[in-house]
This record gives sequence, C-alpha cells and structure tokens, in this order.
Amino acid sequence: MVSWELIYRATAFIAEEMGVALKRSALSPNIRERMDHSCAILDSSGRIVAQAEHIPVHLGSFRVGVANTLRWVEDNGVSLKDGDMIVVNDPYIAGTHLNDVMLLAPVFHEGRLVAYVVNKAHQVDVGGPVPGSINPKARTIYEEGLIIPPVKLVKEWNVDLEILRLIVSNTKTPQVSSGDLKAQMAANITGIRKVRELIDKFGAGEVLDSWSKAIDYGRTLALKRMGEWEKGVYEAIDYLELEDNLIPIKVKLEVSVGGVNVDFTGTSPQLEAPLNAVPGVTFSAVSYAVRSTLGGDIPTNEGFYSTINVHAPEGTIVNPKKPAPVAGGNLETSQRIADVVFKALAQVAPHSVPAAGSGTMMNVMIGGVDEEKGYWAYYETIGGGTGGRPGRDGVSGVHVNMTNTLNTPIEIAERSYPILYTAYMIREGSGGRGAFKGGDGIIRAFKTLKPARLSILADRFKTKPYGLQGGEPGAPGRVTVIKTPGTKQEMPSKFTVDLEPGDEVIIETPGGGGWGSP
Amino acid sequence: MNVAVDVGGTFTDFVFVRGDGSIGYFKILSTPRSPEVAVLEGLKSIGGVGEVVHATTIATNALRGQVGLELPKVALVTTRGFRDVIEIGRQNRPRLYDLFFEKPRPLVPRRFRFEVDERVDARGSLLKPVDLKVVEALGSKLGEYGVESAAVVFLHSYINPANERVVEEVLSKFIPYVSPSYRVSPEPREFERASTTVVNATLMPIVSKYLARLLDGLRGLGAKGLYVMSSSGGLVDVEEATLRPVQLVESGPAAGVVAAAEFSRLLGVSKAISFDMGGTTAKAGTIVGYEFELTSEYEVGGEAHHGRVVKGSGYPVRFTFVDLAEVSAGGGTIIWRDEAGALRVGPLSAGADPGPACYGRGGVEPTLTDANLVLDRIGEYMLGGSMKLQRELSVKALSKLGDPEAVASEALQLANLEMARAVRLVTVERGLDPSEFTLIAFGGAGPQHAVFIAEELGIGRVVIPPYPGVFSALGLLMADWRFEARVAYPEDLEDSYTRLEEGFSKRLGRIDYFVRYADVRYEGQGWELTVPIARPARFEDVERVFEEKHLSTFGFKLDAPVEVVLIRVIAVIRRLKPKLKAPPLRGEPKVRSYRDVNFGGSRVKAPAYLRDEMPAGFTVEGPAVVEEYDSTTLIPEGWKAHVGGLGELSVERVA
Repeated sequence: MVSWELIYRATAFIAEEMGVALKRSALSPNIRERMDHSCAILDSSGRIVAQAEHIPVHLGSFRVGVANTLRWVEDNGVSLKDGDMIVVNDPYIAGTHLNDVMLLAPVFHEGRLVAYVVNKAHQVDVGGPVPGSINPKARTIYEEGLIIPPVKLVKEWNVDLEILRLIVSNTKTPQVSSGDLKAQMAANITGIRKVRELIDKFGAGEVLDSWSKAIDYGRTLALKRMGEWEKGVYEAIDYLELEDNLIPIKVKLEVSVGGVNVDFTGTSPQLEAPLNAVPGVTFSAVSYAVRSTLGGDIPTNEGFYSTINVHAPEGTIVNPKKPAPVAGGNLETSQRIADVVFKALAQVAPHSVPAAGSGTMMNVMIGGVDEEKGYWAYYETIGGGTGGRPGRDGVSGVHVNMTNTLNTPIEIAERSYPILYTAYMIREGSGGRGAFKGGDGIIRAFKTLKPARLSILADRFKTKPYGLQGGEPGAPGRVTVIKTPGTKQEMPSKFTVDLEPGDEVIIETPGGGGWGSP
Repeated sequence: MNVAVDVGGTFTDFVFVRGDGSIGYFKILSTPRSPEVAVLEGLKSIGGVGEVVHATTIATNALRGQVGLELPKVALVTTRGFRDVIEIGRQNRPRLYDLFFEKPRPLVPRRFRFEVDERVDARGSLLKPVDLKVVEALGSKLGEYGVESAAVVFLHSYINPANERVVEEVLSKFIPYVSPSYRVSPEPREFERASTTVVNATLMPIVSKYLARLLDGLRGLGAKGLYVMSSSGGLVDVEEATLRPVQLVESGPAAGVVAAAEFSRLLGVSKAISFDMGGTTAKAGTIVGYEFELTSEYEVGGEAHHGRVVKGSGYPVRFTFVDLAEVSAGGGTIIWRDEAGALRVGPLSAGADPGPACYGRGGVEPTLTDANLVLDRIGEYMLGGSMKLQRELSVKALSKLGDPEAVASEALQLANLEMARAVRLVTVERGLDPSEFTLIAFGGAGPQHAVFIAEELGIGRVVIPPYPGVFSALGLLMADWRFEARVAYPEDLEDSYTRLEEGFSKRLGRIDYFVRYADVRYEGQGWELTVPIARPARFEDVERVFEEKHLSTFGFKLDAPVEVVLIRVIAVIRRLKPKLKAPPLRGEPKVRSYRDVNFGGSRVKAPAYLRDEMPAGFTVEGPAVVEEYDSTTLIPEGWKAHVGGLGELSVERVA
C-alpha cells in the first residue's frame, strides 16, 4: 500500500538533497552563499517530475533546456551511457545564458534508462572580455564568453580532464570554475544514487507510475485554480531600455479551458545588445508569473508547465536567432517578461496580483588584476522594492520576480576584493504611493581601492515600475560614479567604466509601484 | 535533591531522581506572563530542593510576541551608512512563489537606529576612530528617549573591537543594558552578527529581570543554585545567561539531545540519532562519539521547510546550537486532502486543544494519533487508563478522506518519510551515513514511529530509553556546564586558544576540560567547516584535519590555501549524573491482550505487553506492542525487542 504521494515526496527530497550537495561543495560565494543554482529530477522522456525551489529563472528553463539537449544528443548520434554527464551552456540549447552551466546525467537501473538528473549553477565567469562575463557591450554571443555545446564532461564515471581543462582555461578564475563544476558533478552523483535507491525499494513500475501520477496531479491542481479565472483575452505592454530607446514587450494572454496561451506577437525584434531572452528564459518568466498568481503550493513539474503555452515569434527579443547576445535576457528581460505577464494577469485576477516590483536585478560586475593574486572578478545583484499588494504594502529591499539570490556580506566581500563599502541602506521614499504603497529600493555604495573595471547591467532607469488600480509608479533606478577628485557622473542603466582607487559608485535600485489610489 | 524544571507552553514539568534511582515527575499549568510563579509553586511542593536546573522558553516566547512579555525599547548604534542592514537581511524572500510574503519585522525600528562616523577595514585597521563627544551626546539622547537596551554593531568589529569598546563604555553610563557585537557574536558577516546582537539586546532586560525574580524566590526556598540550559546543550550560570541571553532561545529542545547523548554513552553506542516526537513537532539531532553535533546557524521565529529553517523567515542568531532538524509532525498533526485530491500531512496541528478527533474534545480533523488508533497501533487507553480514546471518532474523521484504513496507513507513511528526511538532513549534510546509526527515540509519540523511520533510513537498531515521555527533562539533570568563547581570524592559533582558556579558568575556577574547535575554509569559499582542534594547535594539523573533513563531507579536496576564520573554545565542567533505577531482574510479563494491528500491510495479531513488567533480558519478537504510562512502542514483523540493563528497550532488525 504505497501511495504515489509518498514516492513523489521522496523524489522531491532527492532534488533537495542534490541542492545540498551542490551548495555545500561549491567554491564560489555565488553558489555557496547566494545559492544561485537549481536541481531537478526528470523521467526517462525528459518530463520534469520534481525540482528543488531555488532560482525561478533556472527552474522553468529546465523544461526547454533538457528537451533541447536530449534532442541535440539524439540528432548528433551520441548515446548516453551509465555514468555519463553532459555539460552544456549554449543558451540556444540549455535555455538561459552562458554563465548558467547545466550538467545533465542519465540514471540507469539494471541497464534500463529510468530518469535524468540535472542541475544548473551560475558560474561566476565563463570567459569573454569582462569580469563575470556579462558583457553590456556584447553585439553577438561570441563576446559573452565560452560557448559549450552538449559534450560529455564525465564518461562512464570518469571526468574527461581534457574537456575540463578546456573549459576552465577559458575562465578568468579557473580554480573556482573547476571547484564549482566538481560540485555540480557531486550533486548529480547524489541524485543518481538516490533515484536508484528509490527504485530498488519500490520497484521501477511503481516509481515510474507514481511520477506520472504526480505530473497529472500538478496539471489537475493548476487547472482547478485557473478554472476560477474568467475566460478571455487580456493584453499588456511594458518596456526595456536600450540607450535612448524603449524596447516593447507585448503580450496577449488567453485564458481557456486547457490553460493559458501567451502570445508575444508585436514584441521588439531581436537586438544587437545582450537583452535577448532565449525561449527557456521566456518560458521561465511566463510560468513564474502564472505560478505565483495561482498561489498555494502547486508542484512546479511538467503537469503544471503543460497548462502554459507560449508563442514567441522567432527573431524577437523573446525568441532570438543565434548569434544574438543573451546574457542580460536572463537577468533583465526575464524580469520584464514577468512584469508584463503579471500586468495581463492583473486584469484576470485583480486581487491576486501586486503592482510592479523593482524589475531589475541590478547586476554589478567588477574586477581587475591584482599584483599578488592575479585576476579577480566579483559579481553581485541588488534587490529593490516589491509592488504594493492588494491589502498590503510592498516589501522593501528584496529581490523580486526571477531571482532570489542572497547578497554577499560586506565583511566577506571586503576581505576578498579591493572594495570598501560606504553605504547599504533602504532607499526611503522610492516606493510608489498608493492605498498600499510600493516597497522601497536599496542604496548600495562602494569605493574601489585598486584600479578596476566596473560593468553594470540594469534596467528601469527611464521607465518606472508600474502602479496598479490607481497606484503611482515606483522611483526609477540610478547609478552615480564619483571620480576623485569631485566629478560626479550619472550613468545609464547599462555601461562599463574604468575606476581608479578612491572612486565611489552609488547604486540606487527602483522602488515598487503602488496599488490602489493613494 | 536536584530538580529539573522544564517550562513549556502549556505545562511546566518537574523531574527529580530519588535516592533509589527512581524518577519522580509531575506537571502543573505554566504561567506564561510570569513563568517563575509556576516554577516556584512546583518547587515548593517538592521540598528539600538542592540545585535547580532550568529550561526556559521565555526568550523564544518574548520574540514570538507572547502576551505579557512586552519587548523593551531597544536602540541600534551602527556604522554610518549601514543602519538598514538588519532590515535588508540577505535580500532574499523566504518563499519563492508567494506574492504576499512578509519579511520578519526588524526588532529595532528605523527611528531607533543611530549611525556613527567610524570605520575599521577587513584587515582590522582602524580607518576612523569614533568621536567621544558624539557618543556622549548619543548616550544622553538614548537616555531621554527611554531606551532600555542598546546593541552596538560596527563593521569588522570581530577583528578590531576598539570602536565598539568605546561606545560600550560611554553608553553604559546612560542606559542599563548594552550589547556590543564583539562580546555577543564576534564573527564576520554583518547581518547575522547585527541580528544576533539585536536579539541579545532585546532579551537582556527581559531575561535579567526574570532570572532575578526567580533567584529571589529560590532563595526563599533555600535552593542551592540555579543553572540554565543553553541552546548549545550545556548549563550556564545566571551571570552568563544574563549577559548573553541570546543563547537561551533553544533551551528546551537542547535538553532532549543532551539526554540522548548521555544515554548513548551509558549504552556504549558511539553513533546515535536523537529523535524526539511530541504533540506538534519532531526533532532530530546527531550524536557522534557520545557528543551531540553543534551548528552555529539558526533563525528564531523562522519557518521550517523539510526540517531546516527557511533562510530569511526569522531572526538569524549566530551562536552555538545543538543541531536539530525540526518537522511539523506530531500526534496532533492534521491529515487532509488538497483540492486536486492529493493526500497531505501537516503542517497544521490540532494541538492540545481540541486535539485529535479521538480525544472527543470537539476536534473533527483527523490527525496522526487518529491514524495510529484506527490501525490499532495504539490502544484505546492512555495515561495508565485515565484517558480513553474514542476510536469511532477517529474512523469518522478519517472517512472524510477515503477508506479510513488506507488513508491512515498512507498518511503515516508520508509523515514517517518527512521525519526520516529530517533525520537524513542532520546526517547527510555532514557527510555521515544514517544507516550506521542507532536511533534513540523518545517523546510521547517517538516510540510509535521510531521503527518505521529506522526502516526508511536503513537503520538496524532503535533504542527506547526508560521514561520516554519525560526523557527531555531528564536531560537537564544529565547536562554538564558548558561555556563558550570565540575569536575571529586569530593571528597565532595556540596563543589565541590559550588566552581564551585562561580567561575561563580565571572566571570559573576549576575546568574539567576544554574543547577546541575552528571554523576553517579554503580561501574564497563562502562557508566554513567546523573541525575539532588538538593541542597544541598547529596550523599544519588544522590544515590536515580540515582537508580530511572536506574530503569526507564533499568528496574532494582543493589545491587552495586554507584559512581559519574563527576559533571557539568550550569550557566544560562535568556534573554528577543521576543513576537510574534498573529494571527488575526476574519475572514473566503477561500478555495483556492481543490486538489486530496494521503495521503497514494487512492486519496481524500482536501481543501487547506492559513495559513495567518486562524484566532485564526479556526478548519479544514482532509483531508486538509494548505499552507504558504515556507511550507505546511498536515492533513490526522482522524486528525484535530486548530489555537492556539500563531499562532501555532495544528494538533490532531480525537478521
């Protein structure tokens, strides 16, 4: 008398245990402290059964990324054996951006393919001209770092050191990359072992059948909640910024009996700037908005995903053609896609959707060459305000939408890098006014102690996070660079600049929009 | 006679060991507004009280907003530009898909956070000293505002506390309680250190006054002393508890693990898992080499997810804690179905009131106790027959979800999986294999579930100690004194350890032994591993021990420099342990009844024994049931139970 619920729960635990293994053995603070990684278990046809809830943008992308990778493997006549692991970061296959390195492994039981385990971790550097690899000036993906097509990094339980060397030699911090890749292998090994134990215990038939039931359950639960939404078509538009231009993202969201259909026709053509979001990212952002609006604890498995259909015309920023650069599609465009889908959903479920949050991850990449320690690279993202909510004010100083990474403690960052922080505080008054006001953004400021190159990739410097139901928008973001001595320069949302010792950078993140008339 | 007093939400428990080794215990209703009232009342009724060993929930209750324990007016003094560190936290949201989440409200509102011009850098250089005049002015302002307690947190004070020291000294002239972070939590990571210090500052007035009132009352009773259980599983004196009350937040739960560790020593079982399951929660901790495992990560008032606190859901406290994974699974945990028909267990609980449906006190939702009753895993009579459970009410409640027998069985499997998961976490996270451990199970519900959890984890032996219902409180009588001190980034290892140890000897007199730990990492890593350090402390040894532990925990080593982030010393003073009464040597226990029990398949006929009648050396093969005053041990087929010389019930897998 074993219920499918039991096996499903046990499977979800395996995904979590993979996350524990990855986090605990990774080398970079980005993974260990900020937990910028995700893990999932898929069945033998590549359907997501369970995932550990870490980073939303990774989670939805697994669906696209794994399917693409398996297709690629098949098309190229590669056969996966027990103990093989495929590494891939090509966004046009793996589904996010080059920094997110995906490691996929088949799980065999008594010679039969029964499942896949997969994890994705944000590597702090994957090569290219800027520290941290996220290059605001990229015009093609070739300026964003090393592209790894699906290749076997592990062959029948042996690490291919040649491939490993090839990869890490292209990063500015080879030791860190190597450590993090090994942590990713450790996570998959944990996953493989635990899935096998599960099958040993309950039998393959029982386990595979339970996984199918768990997927059906995800679908049933999602459709049940969507059943409360009024059928119809809802439209919304929001914008990204590039130099002086506003880049439209347009959505037509149709609620029907079988789920939601999200059509991006009318969205901007792809750009020669790193704001293109590959389909994996677009799907992630849409599913995040839908999943959050539905509320409750719907499992984020194939069952839930199957209720969402995305139509993103090829050649647009939500489904670009290679070699469009994509680093920021994952970071910034994903935020805006979520915003615009929320805006449409606010018409369907007005009392479940908040006003817009800060809408930018405020990516800060800084690095340089240290005489003693060699190349150093540091990456951080900064939260902002969430939008005012029906019945509640927004929250100040948190990450919104597609990311949920932790900050790096100042005391840790200062010990590791030649940076001295001068402020870390709530940006008072930046949340939009409303019956329920938007949360405030953050001010984070620092001085560099050595010559360094700073890149920022952000958004919402010109457009403001929208209010809803008469609420006012939140304050836009702002970055000021103060050069010694005394010249002050307000920067655009995407730039690279060289800093001298003593130069100060003041970063202010947007507040959320207000909800309801003030 | 020494008495253990464990103050809980509903009851205050008193436990003492008589001269012949028999245990005396009773409960009276707690008095949450002034917990000392119930404590003193109970002690009065015992008479001849020697030392009082105390577990208290006053710290946790105050932070959870307990009525009658209003929080004092607290100020935070911090480096200019960083007053909101405690509000931003780690900038994450505790739940990914919840658009209506809230962050915990900062314990100090912004208008009581004061910034001071000062700065120390990451290497400990004083870049800007504090201006005395400014601090004096601030002190008098805080006094005017009626601030009772202040936290002082400056960047990098863990490595150079000069500025914090100055402010501490000045402020102490103006307000009664000052908590500088270098004294409370001298370790890097500004948010966690600030949060710990603010929690300490908040608790200081409450705990100080409470302990003063209690001491006062105890003097009237002629008691010989008062010691308090800290979250680290050791007893501390009143001075230590008053200065660093932050260490009392897990006072109660720590006692259970202490008891299990001491029992593991008596049994000679070096690897054990302490499993404590009561009415609303289950807690698991690991014991290796008779010592319980410690952690320094905890969030007060946080929510748990699969046994671990969700980051960002509570107030972080960096202090040494007994490492416990906690799951919302207890006898009162509710079984339900969601709108898509999936069977779910918890996290809601029917609590003690109305309690499980079978209590007949108006509860209509089925609980784990109802499931156990329907499967006849527990009998209808509890507490020695003074309470009768109503089976038909359990059946009725479970029938709402489907066939009661099937639902009960599936729900218990889910609950056991969830608990097994918590046990796995405390072991696997450290690279330990749970199947090599012995499960020591107690709490009212622990013995009912223990063997099923053992099966889930591949564990071959379960031990049910005597008096499982009050085993936690017994732990208070088995604890040693433990005092802790730390230093971040020590320059000379042996020198730093020696200085910490000398400080203890000066303050406390005779110390039985010191335990040395270091938090070590590869340079650039974000987290540290805590490793034991031999004496004399040599960096080469630390390196070696760290690399071995890194290999065993993570499966690899790195070619990178090793860095000691923090060293800790624990000063231990042993206390005399009470000797428990041995079981009778002879006797033939009668089978009290035969029950058709469903152990998770079909029903089988199982004999029910009374534990009090089972002599040492008695063995019974499963299926069987052993009942006692406040607990039931289940022995399914494939397992056999054996009564040991300490009165323990050792349940082992039949080979």
